[in-house]
Amino acid sequence: MISREEIENLAELARLEVHDAEVEALQKDMAGILAYVEAVSAAEIPNGLAGRDMSSLPYNVMRDDTPRTQDDPLWAKEEALRQAFPTSEGGYNVVRKIIQKDE
Amino acid sequence: MSNDLAALSITTAAKKLAAKEISAVELARACIANIEKKDPLLHAYLEVFADVIAQAEMADKRRASAGRGEAHPLLGIPLALKDNILIEGRRAGAASKILEGYVATYDATVTAKLKKAGIVFMGRTNMDEFAHGSSTENSAYGPTKNPHDKTRVPGGSSGGSAAAVAADMALGALGTDTGGSIREPASFCGIVGLKPTYGAVSRFGLIAMGSSLDQAGPLAKTVADAELLFGTIRGKDPLDSTSIDFQGSTLDQGSQGQTFKKIGVPWELFKTGVDKDVLENFSAALKKLETQGFETVDIALPSAGLALAVYYIVMPAEVSSNLARFDGVRYGLPHKGATQWEDYAKTRGEGFGVEARRRIILGTYVLSSGYYDAYYGKATAARAQLTREVAGVLNSVDAIAMPTTPTPASRLGEKTADPLSMYLLDIFTVTANLTGNPAISVPMGTVAREGKDLPVGIQFIAAQGDEKTLFALGKAVE
Repeated sequence: MISREEIENLAELARLEVHDAEVEALQKDMAGILAYVEAVSAAEIPNGLAGRDMSSLPYNVMRDDTPRTQDDPLWAKEEALRQAFPTSEGGYNVVRKIIQKDE
Repeated sequence: MSNDLAALSITTAAKKLAAKEISAVELARACIANIEKKDPLLHAYLEVFADVIAQAEMADKRRASAGRGEAHPLLGIPLALKDNILIEGRRAGAASKILEGYVATYDATVTAKLKKAGIVFMGRTNMDEFAHGSSTENSAYGPTKNPHDKTRVPGGSSGGSAAAVAADMALGALGTDTGGSIREPASFCGIVGLKPTYGAVSRFGLIAMGSSLDQAGPLAKTVADAELLFGTIRGKDPLDSTSIDFQGSTLDQGSQGQTFKKIGVPWELFKTGVDKDVLENFSAALKKLETQGFETVDIALPSAGLALAVYYIVMPAEVSSNLARFDGVRYGLPHKGATQWEDYAKTRGEGFGVEARRRIILGTYVLSSGYYDAYYGKATAARAQLTREVAGVLNSVDAIAMPTTPTPASRLGEKTADPLSMYLLDIFTVTANLTGNPAISVPMGTVAREGKDLPVGIQFIAAQGDEKTLFALGKAVE
């Protein structure tokens, strides 16, 4: 069983507010799911199979590192992206000061 | 025969449009009439676009000015899109509160291809929030109901798309499939659903769930319709570096004139947990194929028993990373706290539903230091092993057959209290997402539950890039 503190720590890492009642529900759900996926941790997997089996892919994908030009249809999307900002000022996205002074 | 134009298959409607027997406006009106009649109960659509008739009029104009035989077969066909596929200038929200008010700033590549063909976009369909679920009950806007029995779920996460097609509220639809989200609702709603080969269809402009698993694909009434839609949306895209061009290979020869013969069936996997009558339908569908000259052989997929457990490590790991971008800073609905950290925590705590929060926590856990090797590391190794097994089997058979789901559609609310019981609905569909292989679900009859006939589907899995085998097999059973 995952402890209350562990759930709270995971929620903090994931920047997620969870309420007290939900912590308990998550402890119970996680116990069930982890017991099910435990089969994977216990399974015997042949050596040398770490990571995705790239040999199953048809070929690797490469492209040149070229900057976008104005004839690119995505070039004109800047204004639309700005309009999606929840709060904007003078064309900039308004965010809070990230670094706070220690009290 | 029904006079309802919306009940036509895409292929038949396309012929009638080309012969000028019907217009795109008439088709669109027929779909809208069904939406007005049925959708208040079914709730397949989150939004029906206000300009559907105007789009259809444009399509009719395009056809009038096009030369004979020049129009794309999909010109004027009414199609529904899942709420996680972007259409420039329209709302898109993955059925989540956290994207309340978000308007797409660009077209997904699949959308751009459909626009070029001249599709009439009917609206955006309901889904489990961020595609997390197998029943559409995780939508922040309420569940969709199964057109065959309104007390049951349509499947998920593309449940709105499946219900819209099954109830003739669109001629076809697009969905996305990360662990079965096209095939499972197609099976529950009695229609055809295709999860293409990973990379066959661009993921650009889809709201990502599990980036190594996601594919967009068609939900349609017939295999020929699914083939037509897939042919239109597929292809390498410079905006998705994981997309692959299979064109120019033997795949472009279409599904006619096949010479393959052998279908592998992993019988061992169906010994427990599959409803008896679902298995009877499955055996009957295989018999039907045998009478058409196909041979069925018993195959072993030793790692397939682990597939769902592997999936429930890999998928939440990718979900927790992909959903990190939703923090209220650049788009969506922000909730304010005392500090920036509180802004994030409140926005995400209030914006995400229960299942999204559960998967974020689970993904964060399996990726954390100390647990990474035992879970994520081991799961990727098991995934590689499974990929090899499937590729190995497909060297000796042309396709693998399974029931799409172990049961027909569940009752609304039946599985919401126990997440694991919901996850088990995906037991036969997750393998193709983990290995990247294409898979199709085609109706294989019905089973009776409480006086209602509920559809169930048969699933075929083929080698990577070999959708043509799936279409040929699908046509043989439908």
